[in-house]
Amino acid sequence: MKQFCFTVRDPNGIHARPAGALSAFVKGLGCEVRIRNGEKEADAKRLLSVMALGARCGTMLTVTVSGDEEEKASHALQEFCEQQLGQTEAPED
Amino acid sequence: MDAQIALPRLLLQGIGISKSKTAGPLRFFLPKEQAQGQKRVASASDPSSEWKRLQAALEEAQRRSDALLLQARERVGEQEAEIFRIHGMLLSDEDLLDAMRREIERGLAAEEALQSAIRDFSILLRQLEDPYLSARVADLEDIAEQVRSALCGTAEYTLSADTPPCILVADDLSPSQTVLLDRSKLLGFVTFRGSANSHTAILARAMGIPALVGIGRIDPRYDGAFALLNAATGSLSICPAEEEKHIFFKAQEQERQITRDTGDSLRRLLHQPALTASGHRILLYANIGDASEVDAALSEGAEGIGLLRSEFLYLGLQGYPSEETLFQAYAEVATRMQGKRTVIRTLDVGADKQIPYFGLPREENPALGFRAIRVCLARPALFKTQLRAILRASAGGRLAVMLPFVISPEEVAQSRQLLEECKRELEAEGKPFDGGIEFGIMIETPAAAILSRELAGTVDFFSIGTNDLLQYTLAADRQNPLLAELCDRNTEPILRLIEMSAKAIHEAGGWIGICGEMAADLRLTQRFADLGIDELSASPPALLALRAKIAECR
Repeated sequence: MKQFCFTVRDPNGIHARPAGALSAFVKGLGCEVRIRNGEKEADAKRLLSVMALGARCGTMLTVTVSGDEEEKASHALQEFCEQQLGQTEAPED
Repeated sequence: MDAQIALPRLLLQGIGISKSKTAGPLRFFLPKEQAQGQKRVASASDPSSEWKRLQAALEEAQRRSDALLLQARERVGEQEAEIFRIHGMLLSDEDLLDAMRREIERGLAAEEALQSAIRDFSILLRQLEDPYLSARVADLEDIAEQVRSALCGTAEYTLSADTPPCILVADDLSPSQTVLLDRSKLLGFVTFRGSANSHTAILARAMGIPALVGIGRIDPRYDGAFALLNAATGSLSICPAEEEKHIFFKAQEQERQITRDTGDSLRRLLHQPALTASGHRILLYANIGDASEVDAALSEGAEGIGLLRSEFLYLGLQGYPSEETLFQAYAEVATRMQGKRTVIRTLDVGADKQIPYFGLPREENPALGFRAIRVCLARPALFKTQLRAILRASAGGRLAVMLPFVISPEEVAQSRQLLEECKRELEAEGKPFDGGIEFGIMIETPAAAILSRELAGTVDFFSIGTNDLLQYTLAADRQNPLLAELCDRNTEPILRLIEMSAKAIHEAGGWIGICGEMAADLRLTQRFADLGIDELSASPPALLALRAKIAECR
């Protein structure tokens, strides 16, 4: 299991388009990806769940990747999040 | 048709979407009436065949959505089409499918299961109290409508081939309906509900369709009645008098002429500074209502935003927006303007801009009533929420604060004091902001112009709001079509007030701009240049012509 955190930088938060882009990206990874915002958690493949996280600009999200190629997938996902949604940070302990 | 002759003239106000004018017969499209014909009370057979029926409808809706995506890309543009990709994803979203399957297993029919699942997710999104996500409820309703029509086997709504060109009137339009509208039959559209932020509004803007949203219900007896739609002023005049039509058509013809005159050759001027022949630089800024207009402003060469109307963030809500909501909206504009100056006018409610939850008293003469800075100073908590949001957003761009409707130095002093209070609070909370944020006022009242010398010493800039200044100076309502020409002919008194203000602020070392409709009046550009006006701010479509005109000035 791999974990990283990132802070949402899109001024509108993770609204429909970024949530859609994220879900589509995760579907291509072939790993189980879960995103946590405080007490809410979502399966990143599920668009409505991701939108329902209500992640606004400045929110820090924790992403957990698990599966066969989790190392590679986590790396790719982290890069995607950085470019499309915000800044990633060192994993929380 | 005869009955319509007896209907009285009706003047309605909504939110204008693209900035152009159109005229023609109204045609009502009220889906509820249409739905009655097709309503089929589904009785659930067994769950497994209901589920199959729903799956088939979802697939059908998915195909339509894919087709819409292609169509929208072609007709509107890649970015605007993106929403249909989202629709496609929603149609196959596991959460939504799970919820519908559960409902069907409980014994509901496909239609009811769909309805129930969409309703639950709509509630969930609304509970997040985020304006962007709440607006996505409209997308859920759109896909639900697609699936419903696939279940019933009915076709999409279209304007039939023998319909004459018309102004479409609907309760609300979905993005799908908007993109499918046949442009050759469509002069414009008006919706009872809707907001300036919706995807429908964004699509209409990108497609250049003159449109008004949020206009309120119109009596269906006006179906077929002739109407004048002015998206620039947000007004719809139904059954207008002959002279009103005449004035409208003349203005429309003038606008068309300007469009023809400008054309592509002007594009060459786009990113050069606007200089007169004698070398006076005039900053060309844009007037916008929200972040969605930033792109239009920049692509028309705006060097900044001279007027960001902040009222829209307060419209269409049940209660006051939070500091966070305002902050995010301002921060988005600040970021997207990439360091270019953005002047945010603080809240201007009252008069013709009423917002129910403000609970402002009804007034006999609202134009001279409790509005704008008067409301803000009477409700300092409300005002400070906005000032704090602007200050916080100023950390990410070059923002300026501008007070509307000032008549006295005391109002400026009180506002300044509140602004300083907000700065101290933010400092104590460790939240970043631009300590040197520019602070200015609008000159919209003769009082402010007359006192411009005193006022100039207390602010960094003035911006002339010519629409109100004109109405208060001439005692004539510019929106009244019978007075439009009178207003047009008598500009001299206002020009003298502008001259007075320009002198005062220049002596004090500040700058002066003009952000009312007069700023885009090419007949006045030379006068403004002569007065040493530093900045002209107009709606994005007017900027190119203005840039060309400045180059011709002495």
